[in-house]
Amino acid sequence: QVSVLYFARSAELAGLRSETLSVPRHITALQLWEEIVKAHPRLAVIRDQVIFAVRQEYVHLGDQLLVLQPGDEVAIIPPISGG
Amino acid sequence: MDESEDVPKDFIKLKSEKLSVDEVSELVTSPYCGAVSLFIGTTRNNFEGKKVIHLEYEAYTSMAETEIKKICRDIRQKWPSVKHIAVHHRLGVVPIAEASVIIAVSSPHRAESLEAVMYCINTLKASVPIWKKEIYEDECSWKENKECFWANSEK
Repeated sequence: QVSVLYFARSAELAGLRSETLSVPRHITALQLWEEIVKAHPRLAVIRDQVIFAVRQEYVHLGDQLLVLQPGDEVAIIPPISGG
Repeated sequence: MDESEDVPKDFIKLKSEKLSVDEVSELVTSPYCGAVSLFIGTTRNNFEGKKVIHLEYEAYTSMAETEIKKICRDIRQKWPSVKHIAVHHRLGVVPIAEASVIIAVSSPHRAESLEAVMYCINTLKASVPIWKKEIYEDECSWKENKECFWANSEK
């Protein structure tokens, strides 16, 4: 079970800021995205613009295998605009 | 002389209250430094002909602080003579013309602090998880930095 955090446009599309999600311990970033979109189909429109932050490290939505621990934070990061 | 003056420090703060240039520059001022360089990012009142009413900032706060700390670490590697670094970023509603970010760097001589400030704001815009939403009269829009290292900007 991981903690999924939504920010900015992704929070508006998903309709929430955070939730817990049950996912396999070993999963690729892309598969994780697909699980999240199953729960929140409106997120599909931003697929090409977002990146993940897993345990506060950026991970592209690709084939990289994630090794998730219970309670890990996974954040959906839309294009940033700080500064 | 106070020995703790010699220890380089990073001052990182994300807050919703109005930012203070005096406060930030005082944090980095040091008797060992002949230069304090400052950058202030302010909010503009228009975008593509639309009037901006105000801005709203949000952040993945814990990760934003970590990423800013990484930037400070990089600055100290590239410019070892840099003494203190302060990065204050405002969150929540920011009225027009007020500061959304203030960066200050001190160093013995001016070249390093000037270069470090530029590096800091450029890298912040590329990698720190903070988002800005512009509120116009009848709509709003999440902004995207062109520096953002993963977004495809075919604009």
